[in-house]
Amino acid sequence: MLKLFEHNTLNVDDISAEQTAVEVRNLNLWFGNKHVLNDISMRIPKNKITALIGQSGCGKSTLISCFNRLNDLYDGCKYNGEIIIDGRNINSRKINVSRLRTNVGMVFQRPNPFPMSIYENVCYGLKLQGVKVRRHLDDAVESALKQAALWDEVKDRLFESAHVLSGGQQQRLVIARALALKPDILLLDEPTSALDPLTTLFIEELMDSLKKQCTIIIVTHNMQQASRVSDYTAFFHQGRLIEYADSDTLFTMPEKKQTEDYITGRYG
Amino acid sequence: MRQVALNTHISGTFNIELENLRNSVLTMGGEVEQQLVDTLKAVKHNHAALAEKVVLNDLKINSMEIQIDEECLRIIAKRHPTASDLRLIMTISKAITDIERMGDEIERIAKLVTRNKLPSSDTIKSSMLLIGERVAAMMRGTFDAFARQDEAAALEVYDQDNRIDSEYKRLLSYTTSEMQKSTEDMQDWLDVLWAMRSLERIGDRCKNVCEYVIYLTRGTDVRHTPLENMQQKLEDLT
Repeated sequence: MLKLFEHNTLNVDDISAEQTAVEVRNLNLWFGNKHVLNDISMRIPKNKITALIGQSGCGKSTLISCFNRLNDLYDGCKYNGEIIIDGRNINSRKINVSRLRTNVGMVFQRPNPFPMSIYENVCYGLKLQGVKVRRHLDDAVESALKQAALWDEVKDRLFESAHVLSGGQQQRLVIARALALKPDILLLDEPTSALDPLTTLFIEELMDSLKKQCTIIIVTHNMQQASRVSDYTAFFHQGRLIEYADSDTLFTMPEKKQTEDYITGRYG
Repeated sequence: MRQVALNTHISGTFNIELENLRNSVLTMGGEVEQQLVDTLKAVKHNHAALAEKVVLNDLKINSMEIQIDEECLRIIAKRHPTASDLRLIMTISKAITDIERMGDEIERIAKLVTRNKLPSSDTIKSSMLLIGERVAAMMRGTFDAFARQDEAAALEVYDQDNRIDSEYKRLLSYTTSEMQKSTEDMQDWLDVLWAMRSLERIGDRCKNVCEYVIYLTRGTDVRHTPLENMQQKLEDLT
C-alpha cells in the first residue's frame, strides 16, 4: 500500500544502545529522607527531543539535573543506580564532572546571561577551557550565535552588555553559550516559561534545528509545548516514571489512565 | 478569495506537515479521478480486466482515507491548530470521507462490467458515459478548487451539479420505460439503476467538497444552503 506520511520515530522499546544518548538504569535519588526519584529506567534517544512532563515536584527537573551531576551541589543528596552517557556511568566517582558538564549543557527557566558583553558570554566556557587564540574564539562565537539563530540580530553589537538584549534574545544567548562548548546533550529546564508566545515559538523552532547536532532533553509544564516540539515524552508522577513513549502515541493514545488524566486536564 | 497560507508558520515542521497533508488529499483525489476515467473506459469498451483493476484499487483509496485521518488526528493532538489551520484540517478530515465514498460509487459502476451487467441498450450506455464525462469534469474542478483554495471555482463547480441532476433524471425516466418493456431481467436493471445513481451521487459528493472549500476560505458553513442564498451569503461577507 502507498504510504502517504513518514514518521521516523521508533517505539521506545526498540531504541538500541547505539541510538541511545542517555540510558538511565534503576536510578533512585533522595534529598535527605525524601525519596525524590524512584527506580527510574529509560533510554533517551540520540538527536531527538525528549520532553519530561508532570506536576511540580514530580522529579523531572531533578532527573535532568542528574544528567550533568548538578544535584551533587546539594547537601543531603544521595543516589544510586546508573546513568550511562557515551558508554560510561556518570554516577561513578571516577567521572570528571567538569568535562561531563561541558558535554552536557544546561539552560534554565530564566535567562541568566553573565554581566559581561554578548561576545564574552558566548566564549566564557571556552576561555575556562584555556582557549586563548582570538581567531578561534571569534569563529566559535559566530558559529554558536548562528546555531542559536541570534547572529543576525547581534553581529553589530557583540561587545555591548548582554543585558540590553530582550528576554528571548537572552535565552538564545544562553543557548549559544552552551552550544559554544559543542555539547552532545542539551538540557533545557523550562526554557520558555518566562517568554512570550511568539518568542517561545522561535525557541521551539531553534530546538528543532539543533537536534541535528545534539540530543535535547526538555522539562516543561506546558503540555502543548511538549506535544509540539518533542519526539518522545516521559510522564512522571511523585518521582516515578509512569509512561514513556513517542509523543505521537502518548498524546493520541496514552497507555496509562494516569497519563490520560494528566494530559486531558482531569488530574485531581 | 482568502487563501490559507501553509508555509508561513514559525515552525518549519508544521509548515511541512500541513503541506504534506494537503498534497496527500490531492494524491487521493487524483487516484479517485483516475478510477473514474478507467471505469468509464471499461464501460465504453466492456473491458473487464480494467474494471477488475478499478475494484482492486479501491482498497488503496480506503487505506489513504485512514492514513490521512490518522495524520489529521496526530496534527490536532500535537500542533493544536487554530483558525485557518484548524479549518484546513477539519475540511480535509470531512473531504476525504466524501472522496472515499466517491471511490465506492466508482467501484459499484466498475462491478457492472466485471459482472457482465452492462445495459444492452446503446442509448442508456452512451447517456451514462456522457453523464460520467460531466462528473469527471466536475471532479477535476473540485480538486482544482481545493488545491487553489478558490471559492469562485468551487461555486462554479457546485453549479454544474444541476445539469448532471437533470440529465440523470432524463436517463432514469428513459431507463424505467425500457425496463417496463423487458421485465424478466429485473435484477440486472436494478444494477444499472444503482450504477446510474452512483454517478449522480459522485456529483453530490463533489458538491460537498466544494462546500468545505468555501468553509476553508471564508469560515462560513454553507451546507444545506441553496446556491442563490449561498452566493448572497458570500457577497454579504465581502
